[in-house]
Formats: sequence, structure tokens, C-alpha cells
Amino acid sequence: MTKQEFLSELREGLSGLPREDIEERVNFYSEMIDDRIEEGLSETDAVLEIGTVESVVSHIIEDISLSKLVKEKIKPNRRLNAWEIVLLALGSPIWLSLGIAAIAVVISIYLSVWAVVISLWSVFASLVGSAIGCVFGGVLVMFGGAYLTGVALIGVGLFCAGLAVFAFFGCKAVTKGILKLTKKMIIGIKNYFVKKEDV
Amino acid sequence: MDIQLKRGLLDVCVLAAIKDGESYGYKIIKDMKPYIELSESTLYTILKRLESASMLTVRTAEHDGRLRKYYRITDRGQKRINDFKQEWQEIVSIYKFVTKEGDGND
Repeated sequence: MTKQEFLSELREGLSGLPREDIEERVNFYSEMIDDRIEEGLSETDAVLEIGTVESVVSHIIEDISLSKLVKEKIKPNRRLNAWEIVLLALGSPIWLSLGIAAIAVVISIYLSVWAVVISLWSVFASLVGSAIGCVFGGVLVMFGGAYLTGVALIGVGLFCAGLAVFAFFGCKAVTKGILKLTKKMIIGIKNYFVKKEDV
Repeated sequence: MDIQLKRGLLDVCVLAAIKDGESYGYKIIKDMKPYIELSESTLYTILKRLESASMLTVRTAEHDGRLRKYYRITDRGQKRINDFKQEWQEIVSIYKFVTKEGDGND
């Protein structure tokens, strides 16, 4: 087999790869063959030493990450035609708005989850606030002479304080859980886009 | 051999092949041949990996009317070799532990 035959078969075998990758690899093997010829081997022997095209191709495919192959599959391997670009531009009111809507949905889910957290914490804050307010108010009212109302107010304040303690642990647990959940979600989304490299 | 270990070892081998000066693909394979057989496609993958890790730099130069790529080690690549020598001491002592003959008093 001549060098040219080898290289063109190699190019064919690698056709699933990105174009720059193919060129770079073909150049690499071309250099390898040339260097062997320079060393004194005949062209046929030089090609023979590299191995068969099939073994080289299967080795290369093995070495390439799956994600790269998938990306290449998805990506159109030719330039977009003028009319395709026109269609994309004309269709932009549809796909662009759909895309924005999708992003908005994701953001709103995220925000509403955090809104729950914020509202829980504000319940906690209001309990603390009313606990302090009622106790102080109760004391003041008692000094004013209305003992019964004062005692009742202090009682309500203590009750609020108790609730606040409970609420604190509840809020903490919920916040922790949601933090974990969002972390998991982010990792999940990342994994979806960036598949683990297998090389 | 464990694939991660082998990969790491081959990376260091290729760095060692260029540590005394610029080299090119076929010469790297030839220089390594007495010690370890390396296929072209494996070498390609290693060179790419080392380049993206900035452990070597590549330049293309004309040679005999054709183009050839030359690989030069960087400081970072040199450091990798030195680190490897250090690590190897640890591996040797682990090996000694693993292959230690029982001395009878357990």
C-alpha cells in the first residue's frame, strides 16, 4: 500500500470526527511514514510498520471521548446553507422565545424554591419579633397597672419564643435540604452537558 | 496494568524522551523502543494531553521539503518528571510492604 492510499483510507475511516481532527491525525501519520522512509525503509514497508488502517482507526476511535463523537454527530458537518440561515433567522421569533421561556421556567422554579425558604425564615423572624415585642410590651403594661393584660402579653411572648425555637430548627433543616437539592440539580445538569471524558 | 497508572507512566516516558531537547514523533517512538513499545495513535493522544496540560510546546517546522512537528518540554513538564521521581520512592516502599514475607510473629 502506498502512503497516499493509506492516508486516504485513514481519512475515510475517521470521517466521523471533526474535520480539524482528521487533518491533524492524517498529517501526523503522514509525518510518521515520511520519517520512516527517510530512515531508509521503502514506502510499502514504512506503511506496513504503521499497521493496518482498520487497526489504526479502531485505536483512534477507542481513544476519543464519547462526548466528542456525539457532538460531532449532532453538529452538521457542513456549513449551513444560505437558506438555512434565513430560515433560522425567520424562525427566531419561535425558537428564540421558546428558548427564553424554557430558561425563564428554570429560573422561576429556582426562585420559587428559594421564596419558600425566605418565607419560612420570615415566619421565624416574625415569631422572634413578636416574642420580644410581647414580653417587653407586657412588662411595660404591667408597670402601667394592667397586671392581667401584662401577664397575658408576656405569656403570648414566651409562647412565640418557644415557637421560634421550633421554627429555627425546621427552617434550618429545610434550607439544608434545598441547598443539597439544588447542588444535585446543578450537578445533574452539568453531567447532561459535559459527559465524563472516557480518555 | 491499571489504565490510570499506565497512562501516567507513559506521559512521563514521553516527557523523558524530550527532556534533553526538542524531538519529533518518530524519534520519540524510536528512543522509547528499547524500553517500551508505543503505537503512533497512543503517542498522538499522549502528546495532545501533554500539550493541553502545558507540559510541552509544539512547533511546526519545514524539514526536507515537508512539515514536521517538534515537541519541546516546558518547566511544568520538567516538574512532572521530578515529581514522578519523588512519587516513585513512595511506590517502591509500598511495593516492599506488599511483597513483604511474613516474619512469623502475628
